Amino acid sequence: MLCVKPYGMLCKIFVVPFYEMWDLPDIFVQTLWEGLVGGTLYSLIALGFVLVFKASGVFNFAQGIMVVFAALSLVGLHSLGVPAFLALILAAGIMFVLAYSVERVVLRPLVNQPDIILFMATFGLTYFLIGLGELIFGGDPKVMITKQLYIPTGALSFDFGGGRVELQKLDITAMVVASIMVAGLAVFFSKTRIGRALRAVADSHKAALSVGISLNQIWVIVWFAAGLVALVTGIMWGARSEVSFALEIIALKALPVLILGGFTSIPGAIVGGLIIGIGEKVGEIYWGPLLGGGIESWLAYMIALAFLLFRPQGLFGEKIIERV
Amino acid sequence: MLYREAGQFKTNYRDDMAVFPILQDRIGILIILIIAFAVVPFVGNNFLLHAIMIPFLVFALATIGLNILTGYTGLLSLGTGGFMGVGAYACYKLTTTFPDVNVLVWVICSGFFSAAIGVVFGLPSLRIKGFYLAVATLASQFFLQWCFIRIPWLVNYNLSNAIEVPRRSLFGIPVTGPEATPQTRYFVVLTIVVLMTWIASNLVRGRIGRMWMAVRDMDIAAELMGVRLLNTKLLAFAVSSFYCGVAGALLVFLYYGSAEATAFSINQSFAVLSMVIVGGLGSLLGSFLGAALIFTLPILLPHFMAGLGLPIQSATAEHISFMIVGALIIFFLIVEPHGLARLWQIAKQKLRVWPYPY
Amino acid sequence: MRAPDDTTIKAGQTLLSVENVSLSFGGVKAIRGVSFDIKKGEIRAIIGPNGAGKTSMLNVINGFYHPQEGQITFKGVKRKKMRPNDAANGGIARTFQNVALFRSMTTLDNIMAGRTLKMHSNFFWQLWRYGPAEREEIEHRHKVEEIIDFLEIEHIRRVPVGRLPYGLQKRVELGRALAMEPELLLLDEPMAGMNLEEKEDMCRYIIDVNNHFGTTIALIEHDMGVVMDLANRVIVLDYGQKIADGTPDEVKANKAVIDAYLGVAH
Repeated sequence: MLCVKPYGMLCKIFVVPFYEMWDLPDIFVQTLWEGLVGGTLYSLIALGFVLVFKASGVFNFAQGIMVVFAALSLVGLHSLGVPAFLALILAAGIMFVLAYSVERVVLRPLVNQPDIILFMATFGLTYFLIGLGELIFGGDPKVMITKQLYIPTGALSFDFGGGRVELQKLDITAMVVASIMVAGLAVFFSKTRIGRALRAVADSHKAALSVGISLNQIWVIVWFAAGLVALVTGIMWGARSEVSFALEIIALKALPVLILGGFTSIPGAIVGGLIIGIGEKVGEIYWGPLLGGGIESWLAYMIALAFLLFRPQGLFGEKIIERV
Repeated sequence: MLYREAGQFKTNYRDDMAVFPILQDRIGILIILIIAFAVVPFVGNNFLLHAIMIPFLVFALATIGLNILTGYTGLLSLGTGGFMGVGAYACYKLTTTFPDVNVLVWVICSGFFSAAIGVVFGLPSLRIKGFYLAVATLASQFFLQWCFIRIPWLVNYNLSNAIEVPRRSLFGIPVTGPEATPQTRYFVVLTIVVLMTWIASNLVRGRIGRMWMAVRDMDIAAELMGVRLLNTKLLAFAVSSFYCGVAGALLVFLYYGSAEATAFSINQSFAVLSMVIVGGLGSLLGSFLGAALIFTLPILLPHFMAGLGLPIQSATAEHISFMIVGALIIFFLIVEPHGLARLWQIAKQKLRVWPYPY
Repeated sequence: MRAPDDTTIKAGQTLLSVENVSLSFGGVKAIRGVSFDIKKGEIRAIIGPNGAGKTSMLNVINGFYHPQEGQITFKGVKRKKMRPNDAANGGIARTFQNVALFRSMTTLDNIMAGRTLKMHSNFFWQLWRYGPAEREEIEHRHKVEEIIDFLEIEHIRRVPVGRLPYGLQKRVELGRALAMEPELLLLDEPMAGMNLEEKEDMCRYIIDVNNHFGTTIALIEHDMGVVMDLANRVIVLDYGQKIADGTPDEVKANKAVIDAYLGVAH
């Protein structure tokens, strides 16, 4: 209707989507909201990565499976008859045990190894946790114990631009919890003694050691913090869909988020997550049909890739000067 | 006592630079080849050939491919599965479009397609390093997988949306399709894998291999010595993807028989990466050892456990082998970062001085 | 690709001249308006306190950093913006302050890697390692063995360089640079962290390289004794500026140098 023959395709790419956004604002707002929520979850996973990367320089490939593992522990414990909140505390305990064992078995023997070796170690850890998780809990998807944890469900809906926009209460909760957690971490990092030690370790392992900071203790703390973040992420994500190992693949989308935000920046992780979340939702709804749909599976990576070519150091990173 | 190089003097550089400078090694490899070509196909049953040897060899080829990129050139890739898929789909399109040309020609040619795609996705490697590059390869993985699902032209619009390997023969003997015997398919795979391994060893021992390793160890120094970084990295991407592409084509045409896009998912990439790590980064021998260990573990584990009197289900075996693989990766990284290949070298060193400790 | 060879420079003529070069990183000025020249066949030393811009100067000479101002002329050709591998093509080789060897490769492979630019057999022959590829490999192996012989590192031929002690690593690195058969060899603190004996060895190698191969050498060094003995001419940098230039004796007597660097009591 709008597009005339010779410019058909160009028009479909550059005109029609924007016309649709303007024409049906309710759908556009709904899309933005969905993107925002998806982005929040990416941000949370990325946050777990950043915590570990900052304090130990380890690119923690296992963060995704930690999310799955934490959520599975919670659901699994509850299905054994443990009351929901006790199960939550026990799941946190499991994450602590995990953090402690990782430090003991994986990180401590590999201290001062090249980054790539540490990355591969977390790759091995991912394999191990996938096997362990499937062995204990089985491979079938599980339902998150949303009600038992008193997470509000249902939707708020209101009229907007000639249609209805629905906001899931669950998503609102997720965003509130995420904000609280980020704020809490920020305070923890900047105000406490441990936070200061963490930042020292992030700058230089050797220098931190030489002033008497215990690396091992710090590592257990950050991995535990990452585990808690994973638990929260797992609950939120599980409540939105279900708890399954497929989450581990989706969690890889935290990597493009990190590229946008930089590997060491907490605000970067948040902003990057939101950009990726909104970008891929809007892309899927308005441009996806042109390509046959399903572009959500790779759009995030392509956005990050395109971004890298222009700003290799990320949004908040500093320009790297190479020295010899 | 037997494994001793004393008295084997090299009188020219050609001998000194041979793949196996030591006589016993040459005899050893000859025996392995004889067993592989002349004993295994006639003694082994169909299960051994079809379910173990063929996929093991194919995965070894893919592992060599990834090892060229990650082990030799130091560029981490999580997109192996995608590149294997390009090979498989290219081979399918080629052999259905030109059914008269021998399928083995197309198997090799399909490598060029995945090499080209590999170069395209390798282009960012000039500006992007380390983990950032790993993310770039993830982009290729998910994008390619999406293409396999969404472009029905790739599978000639058939309803199953899968590659269905047609019957093709070589000298009148069927090599692909349901009629092909495991023996024939084994011979074909073995020949291609042996040939390509030999070529890979030529490459990594020569100027090109040194350039790759130089880029891996210290890219700045390499550049200041006249190595063109982009060309070298792209060449690594091309060769690596070529190997992965051929492996993908072999996997579908001579092993699976039919395949959907999920055969080339990210899990395939992870599996090959774990083979590289366990086998040893930067080792061709390690590629074989890693592929052998990781591929056969879930198959042999139930038999092994049953032998111990602890029968387990195959699903459980799979979970346990996941755990074992994970633990092995960590174990190797801690104890011996160069993987199984390095253990083999140490064993040889011990053998050399046996029965003395030094 | 390769620099035209018709501009052959005879001994004593200017091989490289640096005119008014300035380099800054953001707000930090690493080099401010430095000019000097290096004559064919001489050993030229660059000295100065830490942070004076010596290593930056070497990085500018071999094209790793691009100066914001100034002009560099090498073998009579004014240099445009270039990539480091162009410098290598033109015949500039270097060693690094913190040894930049290919750590997991053997000594032999490291030095063979130095011959990369001299090897031309194409990919096709490389695949089969046959014909030109094999001949070339053997031919260059001869050259590399000469260098190994010259530097007396035969015994570590097959050892991955990461396992070697520091002194030997420095020697291998020199070997790798020599393998490029450079016209201009840049040495960044070739004797840092060595004991007296190793230093003497290294000095001997440097002088031998200069005598036997006629290679022009520019070196950065902190040991004044070594510099005064080795160098034909010395440049002194301080805070990115050139404060003296001349023979070792002239430099030693220079008031500004004494104040900035030698630190003799006033």
